Amino acid sequence: MNRRVVIKTESSVAAIKPAKKSRLPVRAWREQHLYSFFSSLGRLAARPWATTLTLAVLSLALAFPLLFWLLLDNAHGLSGTVDDARSISIFLKPGTDAEAVKALAERLRARADVTNVVVKSPEQGLEEFRSQSGFADALKVLHYNPLPALLIVNPRAASAGSDPASAMVDEFRRDPAVDLVQYDALWRQRLNAILLLAQRGAGVLAVLLALAALLVVGNTVRLDIQGRADEIAVMQMLGADNGFVRRPFLYIGFWYGAFAGVASLILIGIVEWALAAPLASLMSSYDHRFDVHGLSLPAMALVLAASAALGWLGAWIAASRHIALGQPT
Amino acid sequence: MIRFEHVSKRYSASHDALVEMNFELGAGEMAFITGHSGAGKSTLLKLVALLERPTRGQVIVNGQNHAQLKRRRVPQARRGIGMVFQDHRLLMDRSVFDNVALPLLIAGTPREEIGKRVRASLDKVGLLGREQEPPANLSSGEQQRVGIARAIVAKPPVLIADEPTGNLDPQLSAEIMTLFGEFQQVGTTVLIASHDLPLVKRMGKRVLVLDHGKLIDDFRPA
Repeated sequence: MNRRVVIKTESSVAAIKPAKKSRLPVRAWREQHLYSFFSSLGRLAARPWATTLTLAVLSLALAFPLLFWLLLDNAHGLSGTVDDARSISIFLKPGTDAEAVKALAERLRARADVTNVVVKSPEQGLEEFRSQSGFADALKVLHYNPLPALLIVNPRAASAGSDPASAMVDEFRRDPAVDLVQYDALWRQRLNAILLLAQRGAGVLAVLLALAALLVVGNTVRLDIQGRADEIAVMQMLGADNGFVRRPFLYIGFWYGAFAGVASLILIGIVEWALAAPLASLMSSYDHRFDVHGLSLPAMALVLAASAALGWLGAWIAASRHIALGQPT
Repeated sequence: MIRFEHVSKRYSASHDALVEMNFELGAGEMAFITGHSGAGKSTLLKLVALLERPTRGQVIVNGQNHAQLKRRRVPQARRGIGMVFQDHRLLMDRSVFDNVALPLLIAGTPREEIGKRVRASLDKVGLLGREQEPPANLSSGEQQRVGIARAIVAKPPVLIADEPTGNLDPQLSAEIMTLFGEFQQVGTTVLIASHDLPLVKRMGKRVLVLDHGKLIDDFRPA
């Protein structure tokens, strides 16, 4: 307390000239950004627990819609691999003789709405079954051929909006020689409709959770601004404009978003890793006819950019509102 | 440098903080505002610092008429006014250096110049070598000097102080006031609110006396 103030007689406080520049040069602007960039990181590190909790909430909010979307994207691949699902398979009654089969095929070929008809006799069917299914030994015990004759009909491409193939299927079913008509496009249409619905659902979920992320960042920044009300007031009295005061908070929002983006990608990576082994065995049971994929690199970059932008926006909304109100004029 | 023309400030119908205030302080002049508490000293300083706007009249500081100042130009105008507070208002979670550097950072001073000017400013108040310490490690007199270093580091043409010695013992108070006298000698316009009349008189500078928002005396002690 008793330290004496050192009084200097020479005038070391230099000439008094107010800076009259209205705008900051680019260098000063860059330095202020660098300062905010690092000081905001320091503020986050100063409260590790609060930061971790906020990040956990944010990364879950981001990871859920992403995982859902990934699931749907893979399911789409599944429905897309069934290329020839448009054809109609007509199984004739067992014992229909070859001439009748041929006659029916000719009749179908003559139709305007049919492009092609492939005839598979019971003998051909048995041969295919023997070579493809691995049941060759089992088939040897059979004394007769249990397979029916098969006609594979390719309908002409459906005009937009209507599905003439379904009408055709009904017509075939009424034919007395026909035992069973199988039309794969039906289940494919249903699958597509379900996938479309789920995709909409994922979209709605993503928007809602993005909104939640926005609110989490906004609320965190709002509390931070309240906790620093004195500091903000001091800065404003020293001549800081709203941009200067707001900037560290915007960077905090940016960091929240970016770190949460990374955490959600890691979370998705963990889920992918956890599902890899059971998925692989499932795939092998399906002869690897479709493959499973994770997030691509561009998609990951997009997730990071979007989450960082989301954090920035949440902070901006909170900061614009609360700092403007705190202006002491 | 500081001119008040018919300035009134009314907070509510029953509370007139300042009434018809007229005075002028030339460039490089030093003056004290004194009066009982509630006389309007703090309001006067707030008007100078653009923390408040007058209800009537013109406040002209640094050649700038505050009435004509747009809201977004206020921060720029404040940078020309150094402010010292009774409770020093330092940021306690930052070092002495960072506190003093804040006005320069806000003004966009180049980084290499910031270090030089912060050290020169701390040297001026006798605290060179303490720049890395947190303000909490310093005595209240030293904290006030850090506040002064922060107020002068950007070399503002106008320096105002609201009861800068309110929390200090007489000896420290005298030292702080002498320090303010130093800044006047190098051309800064200094305006200090203080109720410590004996100390104010000993300084031998111009004294403005307020009473219930009115300027009742304007003298220079012999």
